[in-house]
Amino acid sequence: MLPTLNLTGDVLLAERVSHRLGKVRPGDVVLVRSPVDPRKSLTKRVVAMGGDKVTFVVDPRNSDRVRTITVPRGHVWIQGDNIYASRDSRQFGAVPYGLVEGKILCRCILMCIVASIVCIKRTPCSPMQVWPLDGFGLLHH
Amino acid sequence: MNLFGNAVPWRSIAKEALERTAIVTRFLCLLHVTNTYICTPTLVYGPSMLPTLNLTGDVLLAERVSHRLGKVRPGDVVLVRSPVDPRKSLTKRVVAMGGDKVTFVVDPRNSDRVRTITVPRGHVWIQGDNIYASRDSRQFGAVPYGLVEGKILCRCILMCIVASIVCIKRTPCSPMQVWPLDGFGLLHH
Repeated sequence: MLPTLNLTGDVLLAERVSHRLGKVRPGDVVLVRSPVDPRKSLTKRVVAMGGDKVTFVVDPRNSDRVRTITVPRGHVWIQGDNIYASRDSRQFGAVPYGLVEGKILCRCILMCIVASIVCIKRTPCSPMQVWPLDGFGLLHH
Repeated sequence: MNLFGNAVPWRSIAKEALERTAIVTRFLCLLHVTNTYICTPTLVYGPSMLPTLNLTGDVLLAERVSHRLGKVRPGDVVLVRSPVDPRKSLTKRVVAMGGDKVTFVVDPRNSDRVRTITVPRGHVWIQGDNIYASRDSRQFGAVPYGLVEGKILCRCILMCIVASIVCIKRTPCSPMQVWPLDGFGLLHH
């Protein structure tokens, strides 16, 4: 989710009311239970809701081929902001709306500082250039 | 004359009201936690799980602990959030887990054609017991395990009697012959 979220860890506030009321819209960053491994949760951006057509680059590292798909009813299409290094709906398909667990509100900057001090020895999980963070901490628009 | 003097004890009334509200709030919180994390009764209806479940409605006890521990196995009747309509929950039987091969009759009303599919990792294959009148994984595919909301433990027979008295005017949603019920009420094996 670079450059939106930090590579080495971010503490975010996720609210759990909106998805029960059906107020998840394209552009929201959501917390989603992974359809591939039910023990993990993913944080991705909703690109399209059920019924919409979505056009995406299938494999941006290797080619420019695009594909257009209609998202099935009751599903959402999620993508990471960093399409070069993200496992999302381009690999495992549209995700049923019932797997959405919350919507990300904002980043807790104080907790991020604590987390970065605690995890200062953790090495990045993939060789990527770290983008500068925005200072405001507001992700939801 | 001071109306708020000794005539009406407002302070003790307010205090008692607050205490009773606190008791009710605590009870509702306990009820919510029990329903979400331990077990909850659910009303199910429809022909898709005949003859196991009643056509016109059954009150089942669904426990919500096993699926978090990953203890859902083929043969369990589970409560699943529908992948097609996220506002509905379905009650179906788990036929296969991720990685297993499942063989099923695609459309038993019209043909005998069977199909074999490997269930993707992290998914489950659910089917209703009444394959002639059930919308399940044969139509919408394998369901991600994260949509499983609970495992059905047993049927609450007393509540079923109450529910049948209340819902006596509701008509079945499809023209199906009603099978006799088993008397024990135990569905989980």
